[in-house]
Amino acid sequence: MTTSAAAGAVDAAFREEWGRVVATVIRRTGDWDLAEECAQEAFAEALRRWPTDGVPERPGAWLTTVAGNRAIDRLRRGARGAALLEQAGREATPTPPGTDEEAMPALFHETDEIEDDRLRLIFTCCHPALPLEGRVALTLRSLTGLTTAEVARAFLVPEATMAKRLTRTKAKIVAAGIPYRVPPAHLLSERTAGVLAVLYLLFNEGYSASSGAELIRSGLCEEAIRLGRALQQLMPDEPEVAGTLALMLLHHSRRETRVGEGGALVTLEEQDRGRWDGAEIAEALALLEAALRRRRVGPYQLQAAIAACHAGAPSAADTDWGEIAGLYALLEEQMPSPVVRLNRAVAVAMAGDLGAGLAIVDELRGDVRLERYYLVEATRADLLRRRGDRAAAAAAYECALPLAPSEVERRYLSGRLREVTAGDGGEAGEAAG
Amino acid sequence: MKYLLFICGGGVPAPEDVVVLQRECSRWVEEMEGRGVRLLGRELDLPATAATVRVRDGERLVADGPFVETKEFIAGFDVLECADLDEAIEVAAKHPSSWFRSIEIRPFADGLELGEAAARFATGDDSGGTPYCLMMCLDGIAAEPEVEEAVVRDGIAWGEDLQQRGRKVLGHPLQHKDMATTVRVRDGETLLSDGPFVETKEFIGGISVISCAGREEAIEIAAAHPLARHHMIEVRPFVSE
Repeated sequence: MTTSAAAGAVDAAFREEWGRVVATVIRRTGDWDLAEECAQEAFAEALRRWPTDGVPERPGAWLTTVAGNRAIDRLRRGARGAALLEQAGREATPTPPGTDEEAMPALFHETDEIEDDRLRLIFTCCHPALPLEGRVALTLRSLTGLTTAEVARAFLVPEATMAKRLTRTKAKIVAAGIPYRVPPAHLLSERTAGVLAVLYLLFNEGYSASSGAELIRSGLCEEAIRLGRALQQLMPDEPEVAGTLALMLLHHSRRETRVGEGGALVTLEEQDRGRWDGAEIAEALALLEAALRRRRVGPYQLQAAIAACHAGAPSAADTDWGEIAGLYALLEEQMPSPVVRLNRAVAVAMAGDLGAGLAIVDELRGDVRLERYYLVEATRADLLRRRGDRAAAAAAYECALPLAPSEVERRYLSGRLREVTAGDGGEAGEAAG
Repeated sequence: MKYLLFICGGGVPAPEDVVVLQRECSRWVEEMEGRGVRLLGRELDLPATAATVRVRDGERLVADGPFVETKEFIAGFDVLECADLDEAIEVAAKHPSSWFRSIEIRPFADGLELGEAAARFATGDDSGGTPYCLMMCLDGIAAEPEVEEAVVRDGIAWGEDLQQRGRKVLGHPLQHKDMATTVRVRDGETLLSDGPFVETKEFIGGISVISCAGREEAIEIAAAHPLARHHMIEVRPFVSE
């Protein structure tokens, strides 16, 4: 086998197996740092041995065994580790282990069916008693194998800050006694929602990155989708997991068309639908359909269903806004939030009732929770523009401008403002892309 | 694992809430003792009854009131023995204080042992003396390593001396405040947050219960603890049963 072919195999195994290897070593040793270090060493060992020995039949099992043996070697050197090994030995074998090194209990056998511990790992990383920032960072570090430096770059913080965040999060898991397990039935649905929130947050961190300088962050979308696929395989009966994956895929399918020349924002209406990723849309629609058939609709499935309405419309004009407005109403029941209501207002307006849509937006203008949220005024401006009320639209765009969070949005709003004040208000664009 | 629950108080609850609190509190104690998860717990007197003790340059400085004035304050504590944090969260979420206010869960450092004096205290038997709670308040700024070591060493000697004099009920360091989890239950939903129930510079690094003749002696015992020389100690009586 050539060195480059072996390196390719190690690379593929890294993406496939890193989380599994770390997860299993944590389960057997309870030591998070040790698990990371030994997983790292196992992959280095694979790079050395696979070119000559060939790629093992089950790379994951091979890597887990090597990482496990490294962990045992290290533990043997420490008093605490010896005690741990002895305890593991007592649990594993009826006869007490001798003092002879050879008789040390084997924590890892290559022949063992390697249990998939990733679910334990992800539920522990996303435990609600951990700081949210720590949950997100630790999920990335331990499940995807991004290095601390890479995670730090993705979240735009110095590496030392990220290292501290990861250390503190791992320390709390151990010191506060957070159990390393998949939660029992009575906690499962609530905790699953917590895991999905972390995945979706991760996805949005990447999705909001649009400029070249932020490209490293857009890799977070792929990582979130990869984790979503893994979670979907591990929890095939949980429709919200499939819903989250479908939602991420549908957003992701439009990634090439969201930003135009010079980083300008391109609204959904103006995006080139021919360049949407058909394979991702097909995967998402199949997932969503199967999920909805389970008749346990949740907020992620509803959001995916809304995104699917857009994905399925051959052109912006063919969008079934009535259906979307209905879906937003259902979403608002499950997730009452002024932002959801704002989106419903847009859908109602686009479905043909501009007045009713504007009335909802006007109500929201008094909501203190949205005081600093530019999309209220921006949406109002867009609806007024569509109604042909240019003076009022211009005033609303002017209100929205100072609240817009980034240059991309400011540029979009200024463009619209020029349009309505110049008097050639074309028919285009909702504010939210 | 052993956990300390800080029961948070504050404000004047509505009379109907007081009724619920009292009724549900006794139910909670009964259930959790039955399950063997609650080892002991007592209600503290109001923060106004507290004294904060420092020793600087050999001089004892005593101030009235708690170590930090906040709207929400520590109203009592319970010691739990739980399988893991999830069980401690479940237990805390069933305590009515978490429905109205909040409860902080803090793991003890390893090795807390509860002796006979603690068992008597748990049953409300104060025949050996009046119990006082000493809260070891740290300001989060690490001193020189030699100083920290000396504090630990002298602290152990302080505990042994107290034990010999029959004044010790219980005492043990807690895990750092970064290991704390605060539980609130609102609309039937358990809400968790990372960290103590009130974020201040000072935090409680350990807790002791002593039994003595009265406030003067309690302050004297607190002032003899090495932490009083570098940090401060809040001394507070319990609500007598």
